[in-house]
Formats: sequence, structure tokens, C-alpha cells
Amino acid sequence: MNLSLPENKKIRFLRWFDFRSWRLGMLAYILNRVTAIGLVLYLYIHLAVLSMLTGGPAQWDPFVALARSPMFLALDVLLLAGMLIHGLNGVRVALTGFGIGVRAQKPMFVALMLVGAVLLLAGALKIFME
Amino acid sequence: MNPKRSTLGWFWQSVTGLALLLLLGVHFVAHHFIAAGGLRDFNQVMAYLSNPIIIALELGFLVSVTIHALLGVRSILFDLGLDARWEKNVTWALTALGALTLAYGVWLLYTILQTGSALAMWTR
Amino acid sequence: MQGGTRKKFVQLARCANTLMAFDITLRMFRYRPGQAAHFETYAVTVPDAANVLDAIEQVWDKHDRDLMFRHACHHASCGTCAVRVNGREVLPCIAPVKNYLDGAKALTIEPLRNFSMVGDLLVDVAPLLQRQETAGLVITRPVENHLDGKPIASAQGLDPESVETVPFNRFEDCIECGICLSACPTMAASTKFFGPAGLAALKSQLDKTTDPTERARLLDLADDEQGVWRCHSAWECTETCPQNVRPAEAIMALRQAILARKFGFGK
Ligand code: SF4
Ligand code: FES
Repeated sequence: MNLSLPENKKIRFLRWFDFRSWRLGMLAYILNRVTAIGLVLYLYIHLAVLSMLTGGPAQWDPFVALARSPMFLALDVLLLAGMLIHGLNGVRVALTGFGIGVRAQKPMFVALMLVGAVLLLAGALKIFME
Repeated sequence: MNPKRSTLGWFWQSVTGLALLLLLGVHFVAHHFIAAGGLRDFNQVMAYLSNPIIIALELGFLVSVTIHALLGVRSILFDLGLDARWEKNVTWALTALGALTLAYGVWLLYTILQTGSALAMWTR
Repeated sequence: MQGGTRKKFVQLARCANTLMAFDITLRMFRYRPGQAAHFETYAVTVPDAANVLDAIEQVWDKHDRDLMFRHACHHASCGTCAVRVNGREVLPCIAPVKNYLDGAKALTIEPLRNFSMVGDLLVDVAPLLQRQETAGLVITRPVENHLDGKPIASAQGLDPESVETVPFNRFEDCIECGICLSACPTMAASTKFFGPAGLAALKSQLDKTTDPTERARLLDLADDEQGVWRCHSAWECTETCPQNVRPAEAIMALRQAILARKFGFGK
């Protein structure tokens, strides 16, 4: 399989998945995109789920019980990870886009991701301790 | 103004992004960390929503997240190198979707508040 | 450019000292229009200090005179030779074979991505050159003119006095090799993106002119859906550019200039 064939014009972006060219910047790019798509999907699922609140406690409270099950809590950790990656990478994108820390974007990304890892760990502990 | 020139999408993406960082902190912590068990039951949700500041924050959150999400979707689609006509179609479709999302969000909040106060009246 | 030349000399000296040669295998991308692209493997012997371009030339010399590839200067200043070695964009003329050999003794050579293919390692760089031209970036400037347009008198160049007073010619850093366009993930998806080299060229031209019409033209080109706003900050262009052009930084600077124009600050 080769992704650089000219006849592959329609699916050019498949080249993102040529792992040999994954450096930090490419990784940030792909992580940002994957989490973006995930978060948009989550947003609409979330909005749909919230409509249960219109049914009063009879509809909402059984859902809350379900959402407190370990499987849902694991999904919560995944969600938190997505938000942290997207949000913290967004800090780098916005700051450098406004001309701040342009020369330090790489260490900035690494530092932000470390902060994210710490927050994720804290969040996961919190989620499962309750 | 030439629509091709008014490419401030990125700017608004940053502004709403910053807003989301702040609002999400409130939203996330308030809903999942403060509430016992990580999620509020119905009465706790109503108690939470009884504060008008919270309602304003939740509305701000709704607006920011909708703009940010749909600008992002637009950006992802534009990355695929659409031709000019499709760029326009995508922009219109997403604007419409955004308006629908906002309308739904406001309707939802309003209905929930209605349901809550009705129930509160019954139990009182 | 200088760094590359120095490196070359160092390597030549080392070559003269050691005169060692070793055997390697080249996995080369082969393609002709209308035929299926495939990889072919060639065994070549190259001197210890060889660069990847030397190895490619060995394939052409010893195995297949039909091999299509480009090069001219052999020292990182013409920008014609760029390819991908083991998936990463480089100028093979200054990439030591040694750097790639970790036991395997095999290199994979492919053409740049995000361009139409012509044959083998050859790609059509016209879209890159068109963008540079639109930006007004001229790499080969007429030697008879100074930057301010004043002609250099034939004797003037030899006069030490006038050398002090005439403005220096400033040559462009960008050698139009296309490496950044090949490495850019956004370029991989959209053919319409103005691209890192092109945007860097806009910035470079913007810095050179105070003419309001020309500045407006350059900023209009940059302030476009497929201009600076298409960049999602992967920074791969700055990472791969062999000439330190730093296109990503140019994109960020253009954003400042555009926002300043729009909101009327920083004038
Ligand atoms: S900006 Fe750098 S990588 Fe891009 S074409 Fe110019 S020299 Fe090559
Ligand atoms: S041959 Fe001129 S840059 Fe490599």
C-alpha cells in the first residue's frame, strides 16, 4: 500500500496516517482533530441526554444511577482526557497564533500535555473515589 | 464585505475557546466534582439551577460551545479543499445547525425550569 | 547554505582520509504515468562519507539510466533534489547515508508528497513556484541591479569605497525545495492551501515594502480561508525546512498583521 499515489487524490488526508512522518507537531495536529470530532459528537449526545430532565425525576434519576456505573465512569475519564488534550493544545494554538511563545511552541506543548496528564490522573482518581 | 476576506473564524475560535476553558471549569467541577456521586439527581439539578448566575453561565457555555464546535467542524470540512460553492453551502448549513442547537438549548433550559418549578409546587 | 557547504568540505576531507566504502540497499519508489507504482530494491556501494544523493546517483549509474530524479548544486542551495528518505523530507545532497544506517543497511527513497507525480522521484513543483510568484518572491535577482533598483556600474563592484556605501543584496533564504509543502498535514488534505513556503514568501515580501497597495495585496492573499487561517499549528514546516525559513513563524506574524489591519491597532 502506498499513500502517495496520484490516483489517491480523493483521500489525500489518509497521508496523515503515514506513521513514519509522525513528529510532535503532527501528533498534536492529529490529537487535536480526533478529540475535536469526539467532543462534537459528545456535545450532541449530551444535549440529547439532557432532554431526559424534562421528564422530571422519574426519567432523570434512573439515568443518574446508570451513569454512576463503572462503565460510564470509564467513559467519563475518556471524555476528560479528550477535553484536556484539546483544551490544553488549544492554549498553545491560540497563544502562538497571537504571537506569544512562538519560538517555544514545542516545549510549551510538552509542558501543557504534562499538566494535562497530572490533571487527568487527579480527575480519574476523583471520579472513581466517589 | 467580501466573505472570503472576513476570515475571522480563527479569531472567534480562540475567543470562544478561552471562554470554554473558563466556563468548562465551572460546568465540569460544579456538575461532577461537587455533587456527591459525580452527578446530580433531579432535585440537585433544580437546586443548582435556582441560581440566576448559574443560568447565565450555562447559557454562555451553550453559546460558546456551539460556536466553537461548529467553527471547528467548518474548519475540518474546509481542510478537505472544497470548491467555492461547497464552502458556501457548508457555511450556511452549519449556521443553520448552530441556530437550531441554540434554540434547542434555550428551549431545553426553559422546559427544565418549568418542569422543576411545577414539580416543586406539587411537592410543596 | 553556508552550513551545508562547510559540512560538504568536512565530509570531503574525511573521505580523503578514510576512503572506506560500504554496501547498502536502496528501496526506491518507481513510477511512470499509466503504470503501477512500486518499490524496487538496488544494492549499491558508496564511500563512507557519501550523502544519500550520491547513493541515488549510483543507482542511476550502475543499475538504471532511466531513473528520474533531480539535482543540480549538490550542496543545498538549488533546492531541486528534495525527496523523502525513510518517510521524512530531506535534501539528499546533504543527508549523510551514515545517519540512516542503524543495522538495517537499507534506505527507502520516495518522492515528495502533496505534489503531482511526474515519474520516479520527480514531482511537479509548479504549484509551489506559482505561489512564490504570486507572492512576488524573486530568488534569482538580476545581478546588475541593487535592491533599490539602481544599476551597479561595472567598475563599482570592485571599488572598496563604494562597497561600503551601496546597499547589500539580500538573497532569499527559501530555496523553493518544496519540503515544507510535503511535510505539512494541511497541504496533505487541501490542494488549495497557500502553503507554508508561499505564506513565508508573503511575509518576506511584506517586510520589504512600505507601498500601501502592495501591502494590501499581500495581506489580502494571506487573509483568506486557504491562507494563514488554514494552518492548524503542526509546525512541521519549520521543523523540516532545511534553510531555517521558519514558515510557521511567518504565518503567526501574518496573523498579527491581519488582525492589526482589521482592528486598527499597532499601526
Ligand atoms: S520554506 Fe524551507 S522547506 Fe519550504 S520551500 Fe522554502 S526552503 Fe524549502
Ligand atoms: S542538489 Fe541542490 S539542493 Fe540538493
